[in-house]
Amino acid sequence: MPCQARLLETMDPLFVALNLFRRRKFEECVDVCTELLQKNPYDQSAWHLKMRALTEQVYVDEVEVDEEGIAEMMMDDNVIASVSRPGTSLKTPGTGQGAPSAGVRPMSQSGRPLSGFVRPGTQSGRPGTMEQAIRTPRTAHTARPVTSASGRFVRLGTASMLSTPDGPFINLARLNFAKYAAKPNLAKALFEYIFHHENDVRNALELASLATQACQFKDWWWKVQLGKCYYRLGLYRDAEKQFKSALVQQPMVDTYLYLCKVYVRLDQPLTAVEVFQQGLEKFPGETTLQTGIARVYEAMNDMSNAVKCYKDVLKHDSTHIEALACIASHHFYTDQPEIALRYYRRLLQMGVYSAELFNNLGLCCFYAQQYDMTLQSFERALSLSDNDLITADIWYNIGQVAMGIGDTGLAQQCFRLVLSANNDHAEGYNNLGVLELRKGHVDQARAFFQAAQGLAPHMFEAHYNFGALADQVGDLQSSYNAIKKSVEAYPDHADSKDLLMQLKKHFSVL
Amino acid sequence: MQSDKTLFKEVLPKEGLLYEEDQLSVILCKPKILPLKSVTLEKLEKMQKDAQNKVKEQEMESLGQSESDEQKMNDVIQNSNERFEGIS
Repeated sequence: MPCQARLLETMDPLFVALNLFRRRKFEECVDVCTELLQKNPYDQSAWHLKMRALTEQVYVDEVEVDEEGIAEMMMDDNVIASVSRPGTSLKTPGTGQGAPSAGVRPMSQSGRPLSGFVRPGTQSGRPGTMEQAIRTPRTAHTARPVTSASGRFVRLGTASMLSTPDGPFINLARLNFAKYAAKPNLAKALFEYIFHHENDVRNALELASLATQACQFKDWWWKVQLGKCYYRLGLYRDAEKQFKSALVQQPMVDTYLYLCKVYVRLDQPLTAVEVFQQGLEKFPGETTLQTGIARVYEAMNDMSNAVKCYKDVLKHDSTHIEALACIASHHFYTDQPEIALRYYRRLLQMGVYSAELFNNLGLCCFYAQQYDMTLQSFERALSLSDNDLITADIWYNIGQVAMGIGDTGLAQQCFRLVLSANNDHAEGYNNLGVLELRKGHVDQARAFFQAAQGLAPHMFEAHYNFGALADQVGDLQSSYNAIKKSVEAYPDHADSKDLLMQLKKHFSVL
Repeated sequence: MQSDKTLFKEVLPKEGLLYEEDQLSVILCKPKILPLKSVTLEKLEKMQKDAQNKVKEQEMESLGQSESDEQKMNDVIQNSNERFEGIS
């Protein structure tokens, strides 16, 4: 180490910084640049490099980022039709074809059918009520931001500022944007710094609009950045215009993806698919575009098309994790656990090594009757899990396995563990209720069903169970209310419909 | 044999319907395949965790240092910031 330190001292510090940057040691790179800037505050190359290093530390691919705040979700005035025709909106899942029914495929916490893969955007969904929107977590750890402008980005921004004791690196308020906009090399790095590191979209927008004027609207890159800023600010039509204009100048895969993001946000999935297909004409076989189409279909709950698209993706890139995971989960919920097992095994071979994967392997093994591997997989999953929510889900699935082999004692213990790990696990409450009812503890069962109902209003099982139980003990009014909610959540559930009819008949006789 | 037959006469109902009461059974929730996390999501979560840890560390440091009035003020501001973040 001292040898290396001596070596570094003899080298040109800027070269050292560049080298550190190339090796992605950004913090050290920033330190070297800071020293350089202390010696000479007007050193443009050090300034530029420090900006880039700071940006890289917090850089997240903007294509993937899609966070909707409560305000955007509930007070959305961009959507064209509030009551859309079936198959043209992302808001009402369940209108598509080919997807397993709600009776087979569980819902995520936001009330959308469970997918095989989560991205920053997938968790958002569109909950129906404000209450549900507030309750739905984004990644589990934190609550949903009020608007995306106050969300994770701002928090990351403030955190990065806190960690530098002598204030922010660049004081944006004192920056003369017009001067920097004229220098294309500096301006681009400065823009990325402002956009990603400071998360100051308004200043970024100002810089971008000055820069695009400075180059006489000839640089498509600035147009895309303008579009990104408009998108973040919620000005979707302006963003659309910028992206389209950029595409005329220079077709790029990224720009197609951004444009489609705009359409998805505007709740126009069919237009998004069309744009993706235009992109595919320019860039045949581009997997990101194909994945985009598949995601849109999946969001519309049109699983047969989604799986077809994911299979196309796999033809071009046989190691595409998202495609493999989604196809696998689709097979699992369409009664083909053996095939799902093959896909998940393929993922394991590729080096995916996570608690979720082992959990899925365990489930597939159990339902494909390969009992020897089942519990081992779950054990591995539990040891890999570093997150209470995942641990809860794994225990829940072990409980399912225990129910499958008829060991209700083990099942009960598992479901208890679920609740100790995650107190808001609605499915856990429901299943515990069922077990209590089997033992004849009616009051406890009712309490569990009620808890499940409150936690997951989109889950028909809890409503139905509560309704059926209330019906048996003669509390017809509560039964009616619960069953009505159950039918709302899952209109094709035969037992719920029967019970509702029965109750209606009963009330009309009175 | 003949007498046995006369003893037990089979009875077939000619009228009426056969009833069987349908018992409603409660249902379990279904097994849950866990979705895999995308790289971006993992990165975001890691970044958030790191940021939180950094803030906590700084708070601990500032608590450990001498408690001048200015320090106290900073603590108050940071605490209120944190609380605000918790709400949002």
